[in-house]
Amino acid sequence: VEEICNSVVDGNFEEVPRETVIKFKPPLYRQRYQFVKNLVEQHEPKKVADLGCGDTSLLRLLKVNPCIEFLVGVDINEDKLRWRGDTLAPLMGDYLKPRDLNLTITLYHGSVVERDSRLLGFDLITCIELIEHLDSGDLARFPEVVFGYLSPSMIVISTPNSEFNPLFPSVTLRDSDHKFEWTRMEFQTWALYVANRYDYSVEFTGVGEPPAGAENVGYCTQIGIFRKNGGKAMESCVSEQHDQHVYKAVFTTSYPSLQQERFFKLVLVNEVSQQVESLRVSHLPRQKKQDGEWDDTPKDSQASSPCFGPVFTEVEKAKIENSPKPFCVGDKFFVPLQRLLAYPKLNRLCANEEMMRSGIADSIPLSSDGSAVVADLRDYSDEQF
Amino acid sequence: MSGRARARARGIAHSSFRATEVGRTQDSSLPTSVDLSNSEATSSSGFMGTSRISTNHKYGISSCDAGSTFMERGVKNKQDFMDLDISTREKLAHVRDCKTGSSGIPVKLVTNLFNLDFPQDWQLYQYHVTYLPDLASRRLRIALLYSHSKLSDKAKAFDGAMLFLSQKLEEKVTELSSETQRGETVKMTITLKRELPSSSPICIQVFNIIFRKILKKLSMYQIGRNFYNPSEPMEIPQHKLSLWPGFAISVSYFESKLLFGADVSYKVLRNETVLEFMTALCHRTGLSCFTQTCEKQLIGLIVLTRYNNRTYRIDDIDWSVRPTHTFQKRDGTEITYVDYYKQQYDIIISDLNQPILVSLLKKKRNDDSGAWLAHLIPELCFLTGLTEQATSDFQLMKAVAEKTRLTPLGRQQRLARLVDNLQRNTNARFELETWGLHFGSQISLTGRVVPSEKILMQDHICQPVSAADWSKDIRTCKSLSAQSLNTWLILCSDRTEYVANSFLNCLRKVGDSMGFNVDYPKIIKVQENPAAFVRAVQHHVDPDVQLVMCILPSNQKTYYDSIKKYLTLDCPVPSQCVLARTLNKQGMMMSIATKIAMQMTCKLGGELWAVEIPLKSLMVVGIDVCKDALSKDVMVVGCVASVNPGITRWFSRCILQRTTTDVADCLKVFMTGALNKWYKYNHDLPARIIVYRAGVGDGQLKTLIEYEVPQLLISVAESSSNASLRLSVIVVRKKCMPRFFTEMNRTVQNPPLGTIVDSEATRHKWYDFYLISQVAGRGTVSPTYYNVIYDDNSLKPDHMQRLTFKLCHLYYNWPGLISVPAPCQYAHKLTFLVAQSIHKEPSLELANFLFYL
Repeated sequence: VEEICNSVVDGNFEEVPRETVIKFKPPLYRQRYQFVKNLVEQHEPKKVADLGCGDTSLLRLLKVNPCIEFLVGVDINEDKLRWRGDTLAPLMGDYLKPRDLNLTITLYHGSVVERDSRLLGFDLITCIELIEHLDSGDLARFPEVVFGYLSPSMIVISTPNSEFNPLFPSVTLRDSDHKFEWTRMEFQTWALYVANRYDYSVEFTGVGEPPAGAENVGYCTQIGIFRKNGGKAMESCVSEQHDQHVYKAVFTTSYPSLQQERFFKLVLVNEVSQQVESLRVSHLPRQKKQDGEWDDTPKDSQASSPCFGPVFTEVEKAKIENSPKPFCVGDKFFVPLQRLLAYPKLNRLCANEEMMRSGIADSIPLSSDGSAVVADLRDYSDEQF
Repeated sequence: MSGRARARARGIAHSSFRATEVGRTQDSSLPTSVDLSNSEATSSSGFMGTSRISTNHKYGISSCDAGSTFMERGVKNKQDFMDLDISTREKLAHVRDCKTGSSGIPVKLVTNLFNLDFPQDWQLYQYHVTYLPDLASRRLRIALLYSHSKLSDKAKAFDGAMLFLSQKLEEKVTELSSETQRGETVKMTITLKRELPSSSPICIQVFNIIFRKILKKLSMYQIGRNFYNPSEPMEIPQHKLSLWPGFAISVSYFESKLLFGADVSYKVLRNETVLEFMTALCHRTGLSCFTQTCEKQLIGLIVLTRYNNRTYRIDDIDWSVRPTHTFQKRDGTEITYVDYYKQQYDIIISDLNQPILVSLLKKKRNDDSGAWLAHLIPELCFLTGLTEQATSDFQLMKAVAEKTRLTPLGRQQRLARLVDNLQRNTNARFELETWGLHFGSQISLTGRVVPSEKILMQDHICQPVSAADWSKDIRTCKSLSAQSLNTWLILCSDRTEYVANSFLNCLRKVGDSMGFNVDYPKIIKVQENPAAFVRAVQHHVDPDVQLVMCILPSNQKTYYDSIKKYLTLDCPVPSQCVLARTLNKQGMMMSIATKIAMQMTCKLGGELWAVEIPLKSLMVVGIDVCKDALSKDVMVVGCVASVNPGITRWFSRCILQRTTTDVADCLKVFMTGALNKWYKYNHDLPARIIVYRAGVGDGQLKTLIEYEVPQLLISVAESSSNASLRLSVIVVRKKCMPRFFTEMNRTVQNPPLGTIVDSEATRHKWYDFYLISQVAGRGTVSPTYYNVIYDDNSLKPDHMQRLTFKLCHLYYNWPGLISVPAPCQYAHKLTFLVAQSIHKEPSLELANFLFYL
């Protein structure tokens, strides 16, 4: 079995024996991932693919990013994908506090030198410690597939810098599966050629600072960031392409998000209930407890007591103040939807009153004209405290 | 809630909640990054029926040695198997050949159990794998084995050392070699250890693992041992709850074969972060006692951190730390909490004033570095499970029950859908097929409906229209016996005086028709606070007072607790607490008064009704165990024994113990007392004793057999000079996997009351049966499971079953059948009162009264 891709764990192992000589902090593989993560934060790509994703560690790191909507991993080691796929599935907290945007994560089994149309139109494709595992034939085909066919807006390629190797004890190649390791010159020559050919611009950097006194060898890992000239991939041509499904989908998962009605309603109803409840409680006249046992804490302790809850800016405060106030009719307590909309958390969820109304109407009692939420002023639970 | 109201709530809960199982994540540590592809972590999680509000089912889980058995993380699982390994039936000569009863009308029942078909000669092969050079990383061991082509197309389960295959390798010892990414060559030696038949316990564990894997393939989310469907949540916004529908599944060896069982289960999740909870609490309590109340409410709770899906127990709250403060990371660098969560998880903490929760982490294996503290941000922690307070919140539980209640038909449809999915999903089917398994048909079996019982009143024998509730049938009948109530007190506030008076009139009226004479009490007016109530009780109760009734102005627990404490410990007098609000219910006064009059009769030592007991000298005993609400390491053991042949009078003791093994010791103390009492009343000892033991956790069967039964035998032997006294011990469980439905008119329904199942769904090694003795109004009934672990009474199985059914009629707090024998329910009530309110052994002066009702 030809081993094209390297993985994080292995990357990790790879550095272990050399720790005695050069120790990276944080470990080099983490620095590489952090580098990609920073790049994602900076450019906010929607669709990201990691070629040679190995045990999917990078994907796991990236999935928390709110801007990503499609995350794809490709590797030729199917077992590993299957095995680690589960860890990419949504967690319980993802259901309780859904993301803003949809997120679909898919893992494909396949080789990076094969064309699969499902990877077209991406904003970012990363190839971390990948190319050095390609033999010369595959390396020759690689640019044509990734740059020419997939043609994403941005490509990140990292590979070992062989100039750094003399700092390691007795090493020719850093991994037995590496087909080559390039000097900065070799990498940059290749990169510039490819960039030029497929109309990309490239910028070089790296991670893993050389130790003091050896600055001239450059970063331990060299990185090329390729940006497509003329900006975004032309989405129109994506649809014209014939569907070409070569890769085998091994795992796919969708995250709950506020874009899905069910979860939007869930979050909205919860937020509204919470806000109404907090307004209701503050509306209740504070019950004076006559019992000595219960109220004997000295009053001055209030000063040191914590005070929390949402903190509003002056603008937000004014907005809340100026909105219609909650009111009581008999033992019913009314909170106008306009009032609720003034709270930043709810405002973020709903653009207008109508949106809020339709979102909560199934679950929360509304006044007859639908302009306010109705609750019982006194609740059975008040007595419990 | 007053004791009365609370009891009422549970009375209703009996019929409506039993049908649903509500998840509770306490103690459950969620499987986090699972690095074992086949043997997924199955952490213990306490799932309990809500009807068992207090009974704590699970204790004494010992931490097990890492790696001692396959799947060492499946603690709970392992304990189940421990129980199943015990064989009790072979020692019981009279049931060795046949443990089935005979009386009653046969009834055809459908179950939630399914056949698992596999070839006759199916075997599991257990191999041991060693590595040369030895690899410490389990992950690497697994990765190397899995990637080897020799095993790639085989069904396998591997935990790093033990390998299970359904197909035998050609050689007994197979040598493979593989190369790590570093280029090191590793030799793997796979040695055949055992060939396991499908009925072996290890094999059953492997089956369970296979099915977990399969359910995951159906996009279900595993929590504890159950699987849920998070994409179809149901909401209860007013209580900030989400419910996930799902299944509890298990593969187990039943009477004659291996069966797959599935039951609908709901996971209750809370849509509330700790911060939201704190803010709401702060609003309610005001600042003065906020920190105190907050600590009281939160400490000990399990929270789920949303960024990494881990669960933590809150051990402390550090009010002096804010998210803007820094802490030291493991690598020694300082970072603020705000920055840390931003960097690590892309989470922005919005409230910078919140305190920090502290959780004490368990020591890691082979790590002597001592305790490790985790600091958690309230905003990022979700509350999990239902708190004690929530489970006793009637409104909340009602809302949950309404959402989760499923008719037998609904349940059957859900099961059908699951089975359909299992059979259709190609991944699932493929997995089953590679193991050589086939998912078979749903099991049907024949149960029996035993004859209904007559209720014996003082001068009347009544055949109830429905055994579920005979309150109407006995309305005009006199109780068997009732003490006259002459000297008693009513405590009420100014506000409730009027309602107290009208209630008193009602009480006298209904008492009259029941044969319970109620004289006018001394009415004492007190201020509306718990301390004033207790002071009034202290001041007015003298030795002549027969009973104290308190009309409580609110359901603040302090009222109830402080009154009960004083009147069971310091000055033992039966007491009756009634919530003023209960008495305000229009049009309900008569029925409320009837219920309270019945309770008061019992508390004074009266007897309400009886059923015919064919055995003339039989003592029945109920034992229940639960944890004390205040000090969780204290076990409350409640024991109740009948002291007359009619089984209408009861002796009770409640003993607090530090460890579970001590339970056996209290039994001896109790049994001696009970037998003395019996002797005093009957001038002889009982010929037979039957003990119903509830509150048995998974994996405790062995302890019961090795410690408790001998202790009971010793105490019996010591008390009686002649050895004729015979003993039976029956374990009672309200929670069990099987469900039974009857098929009628093309729909499925709950089986009739008195349905007994003693075949197929039972265990071969045990003398056991299922009995349906309670009604589930709109839901699905769950049968109660009885396991006779010791029996030298040698009653025929039929008689044992019918006697058990008779005993379900004798709980005086409910004029109808209940799900367990009355002594169990009395013991439960007693432990509940002590564990929740009293926290000490009640005075023995009350031992002859049902003061705990």
